[in-house]
Amino acid sequence: MKKAYLGVDVGSISTKGVIIDKNNKILAEAYLWTEGNPIGAVKRLISELANQFEQKKYKVVGVGTTGSARKLTGTILGANVVKNEITAHAIGTTSLYPEVRTIFEIGGQDSKIIIIEDGIVVDYAMNTLCAAGTGAFLTSQARRLGLEVEEFGPLALQSNNPTNIAARCTVFAESDLVHKMQIGHRREDIVAGLCKAVVTNYLNNVGKGKKIKSPIVFQGGVSKNIGVIKAFSDVTKEEIIVDPNSHLLGALGVAILAKNKKSEKDFDFDINEIEFETRGVECKKCANNCEIICVFKDGYLIDSWGNRCENGAIKIKEQS
Amino acid sequence: MKIGIPRAFLYYKYRYLWETFFHELGCEIVLSPETNRQIVKDGINYAMDESCLSSKIYLGHVHYLIDKCDYILVPRIANFGLGEVVCTKFQAAYDVIANTFRDQNIKILNYNIDHRKKQTEFKAFMKMGKELNKRKFEIIRAYFMAKQAEKTYFQLELKKQQELLKRDSELKVLIVSHAYNIYDKFVGEPIVKYLEKLDCIIIIGEISPKQEAKQEAKEMSPTLPWTYNKELLGAIKLYQKQVDGIVLMSSFPCGPDSLVNEMIIRKVKGKPILNLVLDEQEGNAGMETRLESFVDIIKLKKDVVNEKQKES
Repeated sequence: MKKAYLGVDVGSISTKGVIIDKNNKILAEAYLWTEGNPIGAVKRLISELANQFEQKKYKVVGVGTTGSARKLTGTILGANVVKNEITAHAIGTTSLYPEVRTIFEIGGQDSKIIIIEDGIVVDYAMNTLCAAGTGAFLTSQARRLGLEVEEFGPLALQSNNPTNIAARCTVFAESDLVHKMQIGHRREDIVAGLCKAVVTNYLNNVGKGKKIKSPIVFQGGVSKNIGVIKAFSDVTKEEIIVDPNSHLLGALGVAILAKNKKSEKDFDFDINEIEFETRGVECKKCANNCEIICVFKDGYLIDSWGNRCENGAIKIKEQS
Repeated sequence: MKIGIPRAFLYYKYRYLWETFFHELGCEIVLSPETNRQIVKDGINYAMDESCLSSKIYLGHVHYLIDKCDYILVPRIANFGLGEVVCTKFQAAYDVIANTFRDQNIKILNYNIDHRKKQTEFKAFMKMGKELNKRKFEIIRAYFMAKQAEKTYFQLELKKQQELLKRDSELKVLIVSHAYNIYDKFVGEPIVKYLEKLDCIIIIGEISPKQEAKQEAKEMSPTLPWTYNKELLGAIKLYQKQVDGIVLMSSFPCGPDSLVNEMIIRKVKGKPILNLVLDEQEGNAGMETRLESFVDIIKLKKDVVNEKQKES
């Protein structure tokens, strides 16, 4: 039986998972929408991966989780590595592109830039908590234009004269966009303008003060948008590399981290039959009234978080 | 005589001065509790929508003290001379508080610092003592005792920090943040605690030899107007070689910080910088992601540098 490693990346919009062997070769992969329900999404993800995976030949001995729901999914899957998505992405990308110097990433709510020298992250920046200019922005604008976000890229390529749209703030961008529509700008020009706005907003905000050197790899959900890729290469005058698996690189990175971890633990694919539930309780022990999230597995409390002080710590009873 | 002091804003900068002064004058001090959710909630209720998180919190603390003391201390600071101003919030504090709570029987004890109108700290404290019906001699004595105490504490803090800076084997993170943010239980403490959980040593920008820091700041920006920001900017210069990374932490939407942090990101080279803007939101996943990945980076960088040193 050969060893395999599972990496799961649960983001705000989509949930990604891969299983790799000891040479980082992808044995199974899955990609689906989180739909506001990370627990449900992980369960669906695991069963999808289980279907593709030769359970007779391989055995999963390490699990890593990343993405904004990494803590919750890490608890559920009994992960041995729970890592932030920036580190995970950097590791995933450098495993495929050891020469990479700059990683652009635009996801559903976050955008980041990672600067790499000699295979090591030396600097990065992330958007402040405001989600302007991320995937969520493009999705909501697409809705306003009556388009699917998937149609955005090809339509943007048809434009010769992208409309200028102020994208510093999503709310302002939206009113700007409506005005431009009303005075007769063509739809493809507006769409191309939005793609350009995302890029300039990104480079001015997240990328400010950073030396952008090629090779540049672009990833995250927005990297599927060919209009944004084109806008990036127009502005930077460099080739933009987008891996066909660009959406999976965070999951790949965290699977590699799980592989590098010395501790091994057999993973059970049968989590579908287990009932996971979270409950929020308000700790009333002081004026902070922290909201504590408790995670239950088949009715047993397995973890909790959200307390600002020790008063709110919930003791976990050992399960017999 | 009970003097109420809101545990927010300038308290964290002048606590030794204030506490010793009132103590020496024989007054009882009533301090509002550490910021908690109720205080934040009250503050948001009273504050203007657009003001910064820190000033909202301040209002919450003032509200807590009403009816619990004879006077509430609300200083007004306009400037420390030409080209030495502070955020307008401190200039407006007295009027904002007096107006916001005008129907609530609030009695404000205030002092006014405005060097351009010859209102120095000494004069301000004399006036304040007079308002409390103390004799001139008593007030002067209390003021100088307070100044001495302040100096002693500052030197003690500075010495402690110098010790921390010597610890070379651990990761050191410089937090550049106003005292009222970094020392606040609600705003800064979760960040400090999280960084400590990640095995970092925290170097606090607010603790620095202030005159030296201001001199350094002048070299970076000769025209920067805000005194408190100058102190922080200079602290970066003083500490940057000894730390592994810099965290800029400010409360949304702080005016001075938004400009100064932008300049810092562009001008300070060679150290990873993380810019954290804090608001009322309580989900801390975003904050943790930023801090954790930041620490990952500086850790990797330090390891590489160490290895190179070993090789050579």
